[in-house]
Amino acid sequence: MRFWSFLLAVVRWVDCPERCATVFNVYGRGIHDLGLGQANLARVLIARTTMLVLVGFLLASSLASAQNGSPAPRPEDEFSFMQQLADKGLHDIENESWNAYGQFTYISSWKPSFSAPYTNLNGSINSLLPAAERSFTGTATLYLGVRLWKGAEGYLVPELISEQPLSQLRGLGGAIQNFELQKTGAETPQLYHSRIFVKQTLGLGGKSLVEESGPLQLGTHYDSRRLVFVAGNFSILDFFDTNAFDVDPRDGFLGLGFMTSAAYDFASDARGYSYGGVAQLFWDDWAVRVGRITPPKNPNQLPVDFRLFKYYGDQMEAEHKHTIRGQEGMVRVLAFRNRENMGRFRDAIAAFEANPHENATTCTGFNYGSQNADAPDLCWARKSNVKKGFGAFAEQYIGHDIGVFGRAMYADGQTEVYAYTSDDRSASVGVLAKGSAWSRPKDVAGVGGNFGWISNIHAKYLGMGGVDGFVGDGAITAAAEKSFDLFYSAHFRGVYWLTGDYQHVTNPGFNAARGPVNIFTVRIHGQF
Amino acid sequence: MASFESHRSCACTLLAGFVLLVFWPWLAEAQQQAAGFAVERLYQSAPGAGWFVMDDLDISGRLGGAISLTSGYARNPLVIKGPDGEQKLAVVSEEAFVDFGAAITHDRLRAYINFPTPLLLSGTSGTLGQYQFTAPSVSLGNNPDTVSDPRIGFDIRLLGEPAGLFRLGAGAQLIFPNGNRTDYVTDGKYRGMFRFLAAGDAGAFTYAGQLGVHVRSLNDAQVPGGPNGSEFLYGISGGRRFAGSNGWGVVAGPEIFGETAFRAFFSGKTGTEALLTGRFEHTGTGRNLRIKLGVGHALVQDFGAAQWRIVFGVEMFGHK
Repeated sequence: MRFWSFLLAVVRWVDCPERCATVFNVYGRGIHDLGLGQANLARVLIARTTMLVLVGFLLASSLASAQNGSPAPRPEDEFSFMQQLADKGLHDIENESWNAYGQFTYISSWKPSFSAPYTNLNGSINSLLPAAERSFTGTATLYLGVRLWKGAEGYLVPELISEQPLSQLRGLGGAIQNFELQKTGAETPQLYHSRIFVKQTLGLGGKSLVEESGPLQLGTHYDSRRLVFVAGNFSILDFFDTNAFDVDPRDGFLGLGFMTSAAYDFASDARGYSYGGVAQLFWDDWAVRVGRITPPKNPNQLPVDFRLFKYYGDQMEAEHKHTIRGQEGMVRVLAFRNRENMGRFRDAIAAFEANPHENATTCTGFNYGSQNADAPDLCWARKSNVKKGFGAFAEQYIGHDIGVFGRAMYADGQTEVYAYTSDDRSASVGVLAKGSAWSRPKDVAGVGGNFGWISNIHAKYLGMGGVDGFVGDGAITAAAEKSFDLFYSAHFRGVYWLTGDYQHVTNPGFNAARGPVNIFTVRIHGQF
Repeated sequence: MASFESHRSCACTLLAGFVLLVFWPWLAEAQQQAAGFAVERLYQSAPGAGWFVMDDLDISGRLGGAISLTSGYARNPLVIKGPDGEQKLAVVSEEAFVDFGAAITHDRLRAYINFPTPLLLSGTSGTLGQYQFTAPSVSLGNNPDTVSDPRIGFDIRLLGEPAGLFRLGAGAQLIFPNGNRTDYVTDGKYRGMFRFLAAGDAGAFTYAGQLGVHVRSLNDAQVPGGPNGSEFLYGISGGRRFAGSNGWGVVAGPEIFGETAFRAFFSGKTGTEALLTGRFEHTGTGRNLRIKLGVGHALVQDFGAAQWRIVFGVEMFGHK
């Protein structure tokens, strides 16, 4: 009940109208004492989120069949190369010594022109351009797994990407419309290894669980009580804050804010991958995991800093699976603490105010290339700093093949974005449904809302013309960035999904003076 | 007098400046930048193929497969001599890589993929003749996920049986360009290889050899140390098997391999390396393990033949 109360509270809060936005002038005057995130979290969250949840419940009640259904999408009835081998008696898919899976995805987005009284004001560079734009990503991935010795699995995942982001991936916080976009991507296809890691499982007893064959998972049996150690190169999202209902992100929501909490600034390189280790303890319905991973050498860049005792990203997560009236659900809490060579907004502002020469155009260290000589810059303030955040996630099946989810995170908001998005606080809610009710059980539909806020000091910094890794229009009328995401993925010819997606972004870049923005997307996804 | 000297000095300076200004474009044009190429010459055999470069053609059984991890370090794989033949520049003095491979086999056929990852490339920048060479600066920290020139390949055993005296096979590879030429990890162009393979076992002795063509469109013949287009590949290996207990055994012996450009077949540069290898392997079960170590030295040190190198590999392979 607390969860539903929380969601209701969230919904009311979302209804905050634009007039709630706090207006910031160039020097940050007018910032009230309440943090922007707290203020908006008290209001903006509730209206739209509530509406979305209500829509979800309405959908659930209309789509759910009378009987209780199995909660999660099941991959074993989908076409795969491994299943074909198993069907011919050439492969033991339930106790695999190896497997190989693959996918390809092409996502094309179109953004019509939108209203903006200013863009890249005074030489700041991180505005979403108001002109119509097209963006695309094309990815192809091969997932290779092998059993190395008893309890040990090794995985190698080469991946190819070609991309063209909107406005060079500038101007949006957690509302970036396509989770595949990478900060260092290019139209020329680039092949890289996204993951190389070893996983060692030590059984501790309990029930024997079937783990089905899939990407990054050998078909096997596990103890329900076990220790799992992972070391190597991976995405921390392979283990922490995994996607709602285990729906592959390439079948689900397209928005970046739905892949994990947008304020979860997990340490990773510009592609979203890290080196490090994760330890997990599974104890029946409970799981606890901790991990330490490498940050990039410079924020949002590809080179990695391997000094894991000096700079690192730590995270801890606890998870509990439950059943409510026969429907499965899960609750997780997640905390992270990063120590990285990053700038604090307050320090950058102080440096500029003490000496205006220390502005965005004069720093010779790593910077984003802003040409605004009247703005502070984080480049002047980078040193060993700590960023912390805490969040929660819940998912609940409410009918046959339909479920609702919500996640929220609160980060301290004192330091710059180092890897993920510019959000300092975020919340997302949504509903996912498979098409069982309309006899297309492999189709997936979803509707959700994603909300992001920045801290007061972050807003002040942006208001003075500063830029971070993703946003900075030169001025700001600070407000929550909100995105509404609606999609439908239709499954056809056994291995393909065709998705239509619409996103409506309000206050892009946390700036109520610009937007709203509409983004239309088509996705073709195949897996084998 | 002092005034005259002063004026003369000033005039000389102005004249030198004028000459520099007039001829600077010409001087700049004369200084050409060498672009880089795929310097690695250890063209590995397929995962599960036994040797580092040669292929034991031991492909058999129903559906099977192999995975491999190979890592190596090479010293001075690209040392360029100047026009005078005396001046040397180690453009690539250190090179290390790790390569992940996987193969699938059935009966006498094998298909495979390899994903090489550069771990380290460094050297000395400098000028030789009219060419400016910029040494690569690759490290795992700066290039955490680079895959350089992955390949797919296909091998077939045409004649002979596993463990027989003579086996003959053929193989083809397609190498995809990936990475930056300035890092000396790729030609930036597609490459291919076609090889005739031979192998056999006679009691405790085992051997293998290859002749082939490396189809390479990059021709930087005018650049000292640069590739000269397509190359002729050759290699031979031989060793003795020492049987151990519980299915374990050791195979030790040399591999000699190299390449020379067709374009200047008799006058062109040839690289040849010898690798003393030891294979500690467990075979005869459904899942087999092979641990390999090789230490080598250049016999003829030209473009990419390392002065010396050490290679380590692990293979897991088997079939139903």
